[in-house]
Formats: sequence, C-alpha cells, structure tokens
Amino acid sequence: MATSTITEPPAADAPSGRPRVNPWLRAGSLILGILLVLSVTRVLSDAQDITSSGTAGAALRLAVPIMLAGLAGLWSERAGIVNIGLEGMMVLGTWCAAYGSLQFGPWAGLIAGILGGALGGLVHAVATVTFGVDHIVSGVALNLLGPGVARFLSSLIFTGTEGGGVTQSPQVAQPPSFTVPGLASGLRSLEDERIFFVSDAAGVLGGLVTGLSWATVISLLLIPLSIYVLWRTRFGLRLRSCGENPWAAESLGVNVYLYKYLGVIISGGLAGLGGAFLSLVASNYYREAQTGGRGFIGLAAMIFGNWRPGGLALGAGLFGFTDALQLRQGETSVHALFLALAIGLALYGIWGLSRARRVAGIASLVIAAGSLALYLFTDTVPQQFTTATPYVTTLLVLALASQRLQMPAADGLIYRKGTAK
Amino acid sequence: MRRVTSLFAVMAAASMALAACGGGSSDSTSTASSGGASSAAAGGGEKIKVGLAYDIGGRGDKSFNDSAAAGLDKAKADLGVEFKELSATQGETDADKEARLKLLAQGGYNPVIAVGFLYGGSMKKVAAAFPNTQFAIVDSVVEGAPNVTGLTFAEHEGSYLVGVAAALKSKSGNVGYIGGCLIPLLQKFEAGFVAGAKSVKADIKIQVKYLSNPPDCKGFNDPASGTETANGMYDAGADVIFAAAGGSGTGVFQSAKAKTKLAIGVDSDQYESAAADLKPVVMTSMLKRVDVAVFEYIKAAQAGSPLTGVQVFDLKKDGVGYSASGGQVDDIKAQLEDAKGKIVAGSVKVPDKP
Repeated sequence: MATSTITEPPAADAPSGRPRVNPWLRAGSLILGILLVLSVTRVLSDAQDITSSGTAGAALRLAVPIMLAGLAGLWSERAGIVNIGLEGMMVLGTWCAAYGSLQFGPWAGLIAGILGGALGGLVHAVATVTFGVDHIVSGVALNLLGPGVARFLSSLIFTGTEGGGVTQSPQVAQPPSFTVPGLASGLRSLEDERIFFVSDAAGVLGGLVTGLSWATVISLLLIPLSIYVLWRTRFGLRLRSCGENPWAAESLGVNVYLYKYLGVIISGGLAGLGGAFLSLVASNYYREAQTGGRGFIGLAAMIFGNWRPGGLALGAGLFGFTDALQLRQGETSVHALFLALAIGLALYGIWGLSRARRVAGIASLVIAAGSLALYLFTDTVPQQFTTATPYVTTLLVLALASQRLQMPAADGLIYRKGTAK
Repeated sequence: MRRVTSLFAVMAAASMALAACGGGSSDSTSTASSGGASSAAAGGGEKIKVGLAYDIGGRGDKSFNDSAAAGLDKAKADLGVEFKELSATQGETDADKEARLKLLAQGGYNPVIAVGFLYGGSMKKVAAAFPNTQFAIVDSVVEGAPNVTGLTFAEHEGSYLVGVAAALKSKSGNVGYIGGCLIPLLQKFEAGFVAGAKSVKADIKIQVKYLSNPPDCKGFNDPASGTETANGMYDAGADVIFAAAGGSGTGVFQSAKAKTKLAIGVDSDQYESAAADLKPVVMTSMLKRVDVAVFEYIKAAQAGSPLTGVQVFDLKKDGVGYSASGGQVDDIKAQLEDAKGKIVAGSVKVPDKP
C-alpha cells in the first residue's frame, strides 16, 4: 500500500530502485493474472468448478469472517497489543449475535455480536494496558473464557427453548441478502457459454453479485474504512504511533493508554462481527465451537498481509477461495490447482530469468515441473489432503512471498506510563 | 508488580471457574421418585442406581447425548431406577474422565454407563479398579475388561436404508454423502449409504465429502462449511444429500432449502428438531437409537441378567432405522421395508467399510 505515511521507509515498498507502481494497478493486474491462469487451467483440466459462480460466492462467504478476524488483529496490533484472544472474542460474537437476533431481529443481532466481542476486547485491554499482563497470557485466558461464558449463558438462556440447548441456540433470523438485478442473470448465461476467459470472469463476478448479504457488503466496506481511518486521519496516526513507539508518542502528549484501549476494543468489536457473520450469515444459529479456529487463521492472514488491510484481505481471499474449492469439488478442483500452480510458477520463472534473477527463476521452474508431474500422474487428490489445501496454500505463499514482513515496532511490548528514557 | 500478578491470577482463576461452570452446570443429581409408580413398574426386580457420564455437550445437546438421556428418562419412568448424570467439559483430559467414572462407581452406582468412544481409555482403568461394578460404553468396545459392555450400532445397516431411499427419490441419478470427520465410525455410514444407493441403481453417481480430518474433528460443528459443501454437491447435479455431520447438518438443510433439493438427517429424527422452514427438505433421517441401547442395557441389569461383551444394536434389534415423519418416504415405504427385511433375514450383507 502506498497509503503509508509515517513509520514506513519508502525502500520497503520500492526495493532496488524500481519505480513505484500504483497499488490499485498492481492489485488489478494480479487479479487479472490469477484469473487468466485459472481459466487456462479450467479449459485444460475440465475442472469447471474452479471459476464457477458457486465457487466465487462460497469463497466470499468463507473469506469474510477470516478477513474480519484479521482486521481485528490489525487494529489491536497497530496499537501495540498482540491479540491472540481473537478466537475467544469471536465465540462471544457468535453467541451474542444469535441471542440478539433471537430477541430483536438480525440487525440487532449483528450489533449485539459487535458488542459481545468488544466486551472481550475490553477485558483484554484492562489486563494488558492497565495491569501490564503479558499479551499472550491474557489472550489465551480470553480463548478459554469465551467458550466458557458462551456455554454458561447457553445453559441459562437457550436450554429448554425450541431447538436450543447447552450447545446451540434455536434457529434465528438472518440479515437480508440481495441479488443485483439484471447483472446476475446476464452473467449467469455468459458463464454457461464456457468461452475462454469471458465465462470465467462472468462466473467470478456473477458469484459475487448473487445472493449477497448486506452484512457482507458492510464487512467489505470496513477494509477501505480502516485504511482511511488508520492512515489518513490524525486519530489513526496517533493510534499507530502507540504501536510503533509509545514512549515517543507519550512525549508528544498522546494519551497512549486511551489509544491502546480504543484499538483493542475496536479489535474486539471486529472479531465479534466476524463471529456474528458465522452465526447469522454463514449459518442461521449459534453452535458451540462453530468458529473452528478462524480467529487464529485471521491472525495468520494479518501477518500474511504484513499488518496492512489490503494485504490481509488478499490473504483472507486466498484462504476463502482454496477453502471453497476443497469443500465444493475438492478432489477434482484441488487436482486442477496443481496445473494452475505449474502454469503460474512457470510464467513467474520465465519472468524471473528474463530479469536475471537466476536462482528464483530456476527454482520456480523446477517446482512448476514437479507440480505438472503431480498433475499428470494422478487423477484426483485424496480427501485426507484436500481438507488441508487452504492451510498449505496459505503457508506456502506466506513462506515464499512474505520476506519483508514489518510488524509495528513496539508490538507486544508492555508499556508503562512515564517510563520513557 | 506483585499486586498486578496476583490480580491477574485472580482473573485467570475466575475464567477457569467460569469455563468449568459452563460445562458443569448441566451436572445434576436427579433421583427418581421412589413412590408407588416405580414399584408398580418393572416386574419387581430390585431397584438399581445407574450412573451415566455424558460426552462433551451433555444433556440438552440435541444429538447423541440427548438420545442417551432419553433412554435414561425412559428407564426412570418405566423401571423406576435412580440415576446420577455427569457431563464432560470442553478440552478435558483423560484424567478428568477417569475421575468422573470413579466418582460414580464409588458412589455405589451400578451399572455405570459412559456415552462416547472418548471414554474408552479411562473406562478400562476404572473398570479394573472396580471389578464388582458393571460398566457400559456407548459406541466403543473396551478390550480386556470383562465387566465392560460395549454398546455399538450397525450404522451401516441404517445408512443402507436411507441410501435406498435417496436413490429412489433422486431424479438426476446423483446423490451425495457429507461426513463430519474422516474416521472409521463415519466411514461405516458411507459404506452403507453407497451400498444402499447402488442396490437401487447400479450406475448412480455418489459424491462423498468429509468436512474434517481427525484429530481435529471440527466438521461436526461447522454449519458454514456444511452449507458450502452441500452447495457444491447440488451445483454438480446431486439432488439428495445424506448429512452425517452433527451440527453441520443444519447447514446442509439450509443449502437444500435454498436450492429446493432434499437432504437426509442423522442420529435422531431431524424432521422433528428442524425449524419449520427447514422441515420440508428433511426427507428422512437415519436413526441411531442410543436411547434403545441405554434402555435395554438398564432393563437387563435391573432384571439381574446384565448384557455383557459386545452388544451390537442392529436393524433386528431396532438399534438403527429410518424415520418417516413428514410423510416424504410414504410412497417408497414398501421398497424400504423390503430392503430392511432382507438385511434382517441375512440375505443382504451390508459392507461396513468403503
């Protein structure tokens, strides 16, 4: 992102004197490139599902909770507080959202989810900011506390209700969703034509505009909103300064405790919204352990995105897409992914060689050849491996692409007022 | 600094206590009334005290544990037994399970029943320490413990029947199976379902997907993944899906409703437990009668001739079956009963491995 103002030496974005590329242009060409590789793969492998509208819609629905968890982690860590308690805050969000929706309707449910998560954030803030508890310890405590509280409240409130019990809530109302009129059906018929690239683009776009929940739209808008607030406002600058150098911020009159509190509470609210999305949009009830580790995946997406909103959205999108592939038609789609990987890496390798980056280029070509061999000599990928696809993919991309990670400088440090030297 | 540390310790302790509260709040001692009703029932055998340890979720989980609880309640109503029930907590260790079983055995509860295969290891130890107490474990077999009865089910036989139903109801010749976790127990469901569907239509297409791999069996509690997997199967042409995925099954029903297709429930009659708008998509359910097994076991113990060894509750004993509420399988009932008769008579052998 070129939107960084302070704390980011320009060299990090433009190494070896390359001209800075407009980030929108870069993201756009990246997406187009991926789509092109996928449509070549679809035509060659006949795995029709990899660019279908169904996959695109599923990828979006699976990515949003992870994106929200990642964004939650970002807000907290930009203020200098490591938040490993996201999972627990998400659990509070799932429960509160179901309760709110049951009592006052789906929109109130979403707000209740945010409040539930924010309450978890407040506890984390009290422990880490006011009492200087180690951030990891407090986060782990929250991960234990969240499910415990949810269970306790369920046994108080959901037990004995129609369809509810200690482990689940009754089924609740969902926020409304919409399909963009005209556009969706047109894209649908274009998708069915199976034209190279055109149908693929139509499938992906069509999936994104069909049966779209308003909650999804709101969640997606939080990405540009976070970029704006954190990097374009005075408030954001101060909050980030608490994550980079709270002592310097203090010396300039910033109320560090206050900003840290706000960062962590907003973080909890976002995690709670992610939980609310799980119990209200992705399904229609609260179920114990429904978050399934998504809080931790969100944290990984945030690191993947180098503590930037755009990057973490990309990470969450990658995870959601591969998860959708493996859930829908895993054995054929994941098999086709090997071909996509081979094509993508081969192109990258050739580009690398042309730029005289010999080692990276040759390595890419070798992996591409291996991947191609895997594709050619197997027919499907067994179930035991397909389930791991999103995790393996994220791990691989994290290992290969994220060599210049730069976390906030004072992230995880315990700050005490008046200890500046 | 010390003050801070102690404050935190208090907080951590409180969180533990709350977490424990969550699990433990369903622990309750319920003693059956020893009034006239019970002495009138149960053929005059001596009244026994039954101890029952639930798996995670406990009474009120709308699933497995509730089914065991139903059997216990029936035993209380019909036989007048006394009972004590204890529940497991999330993330507990084998030592916790051991302590729970020990508590029941020491309290003079005999027999002691544990729900779920997770109790296997701890039950073996406790059973050895209390040789005069009868133990039973649902869904598992404990080797080398003469006083432990394994209460298992022929899930493949029940799944065969819903496989027959799915194939008969499918117009596209394409059905799906979604399992919560890739474990042998659920592969039994798959094997039976596939065999049943193929018995109707040899060239039927069957899509199979498990939502998670052991040891992290989160696929039983992930309705979001259930929905997306079912969406994928329906998009690929399936029109009936058998969801053996615990809490994720509701996600499958939601997908079926959105795509106006059909689904099959599992364990209990899910037509009864589904919300009103989802009822029409629940064509039938594969019943696993944990309640029958628990009740029959208690009844035999009450009569003084406890069931021992490995007890398989199959179609013949009504330990598994299919549900017909909602009336969607009424038109194919003859074929289903025919298939059931063949299995009971032994002329059809259902495979239990895919």
